[in-house]
Amino acid sequence: MKKAYLEFVVGLFLAIGIGCLAWLSIKLARKEFFARDGYEVQAAFSNGSGLCPGTLVVIAGVQVGRVRSVGLEDYEARVRMVIQRGVVLQKDTIASIKTKGLIGEKYIELTPGASENCIKPGGTIRDTQPAMDLEVMIGKYIQGNLAKPDDKSPPAR
Amino acid sequence: MRTLECILLTLITLGLTPCTRAERPTNEIRAATDRVLALLRDPALKTDARRSERRQLIRKEFDQLVDWPTIARSSLGHHWAKRTRADQAEFVAVFSRFLEETFIDKIETDSGELDKIDYTGEKILDDYASVKVQITTKDQIAHPVEYRLQKSGTCWRIYDVLTEGVSLVKNYRDQFDEILAKSSYEKLVADLRARTPPGAL
Repeated sequence: MKKAYLEFVVGLFLAIGIGCLAWLSIKLARKEFFARDGYEVQAAFSNGSGLCPGTLVVIAGVQVGRVRSVGLEDYEARVRMVIQRGVVLQKDTIASIKTKGLIGEKYIELTPGASENCIKPGGTIRDTQPAMDLEVMIGKYIQGNLAKPDDKSPPAR
Repeated sequence: MRTLECILLTLITLGLTPCTRAERPTNEIRAATDRVLALLRDPALKTDARRSERRQLIRKEFDQLVDWPTIARSSLGHHWAKRTRADQAEFVAVFSRFLEETFIDKIETDSGELDKIDYTGEKILDDYASVKVQITTKDQIAHPVEYRLQKSGTCWRIYDVLTEGVSLVKNYRDQFDEILAKSSYEKLVADLRARTPPGAL
C-alpha cells in the first residue's frame, strides 16, 4: 500500500515536471496554441524582412500582441498577429515595421487612427508601411551623390 | 435627359469635372498627373502675372483627386475624436490648405527635373486601391511612389501617399502625436497657419 502511494507521488511529480517543461518550451518559443488572450488580425507588407512568429507588436512602445505567422501571398508578406483583447484598432490604423536601434530586431508598430469603425477579429489592417532596407537607403545615398551636377562621372543607372 | 443636362451644367458651373464612369484608379491618377504637368509646362501660365492663376488651376485638379478631409482626419489619429466638431472642421481646413500649398510649391520647384513617370502596378480590393508609380528624374534617379485610394461614388480619391515607402499620413500622425504630447492643439493649428501663405487661408 505504502509502495503504491510512493509510486503515485513520484508519478505525479514526474507529470508536473513534464507539464512545466512543456509550458516553458511554449513560452520560450513564443508559441500560442489558444488565442483566448486576444484576437487575430492580418496585414500585408511589401517587405516583411526580419519578421517571424513571436515578433512583438506594439502601440506607443507598449506590447499589445505578437506575430503568429508570416507567409508569402501574392508576392507580399502576409502577417498574422494576435492582439490583446481590449485593444481596439481603428480601420485606419497603420502598421509599420520598425527596428530596435539601427540594426536591432524588428517589431511591428501600430499607430491608432481616427476612424469610427474598428477592425473586427480576423480583419485586416489595410494601411501598412514596409520595413526600411538599410542597404537600399545607403545605395540611394551613394547614387544621389554620384548624380550631383558638379560630379563629372556619369550617373548610375 | 433634361435632368442629366441640368446636373452636368451645374457641375460644370461649379468648376468640377464629374466622373462619368468608373475609371480604373491608375487611369484617374495618370489623367490628373498629365493635366497638372500640362499646366506646369504651359508657357502662357509661366509668367509672374499668371502664376496665381496657374496655382488655382492646379489646386482645382488636386481637390478633385485628393480626399483632403480623410487625410486630415487620419493624420490627427486618435486625437481627432477628442476635438469638438468646430475644431475638426477648422483642422481639416487649415491642414488641407497647408498640405496643398506645400505640394504645389514642391511640384512647381521639382517638375523641371522630371524625366518620366512609369505606372508600375495597381491593386484593387473592394473599395480600396493602390497605384504604384516610379518617378525618374533627369539624372536617372528613380523614386518609388505609391498612391492609396478609396472609392467615392464612381471616383477614386487619394487618402495617402507613400514616397520611398514612407507614408504621408503616418509621418504627420507621428509628428502631431509628438507636438500634442508636448504642447496644445491650439499651438499646432497656429503653427500650421503660420507655415501656410497668408493668401491661401
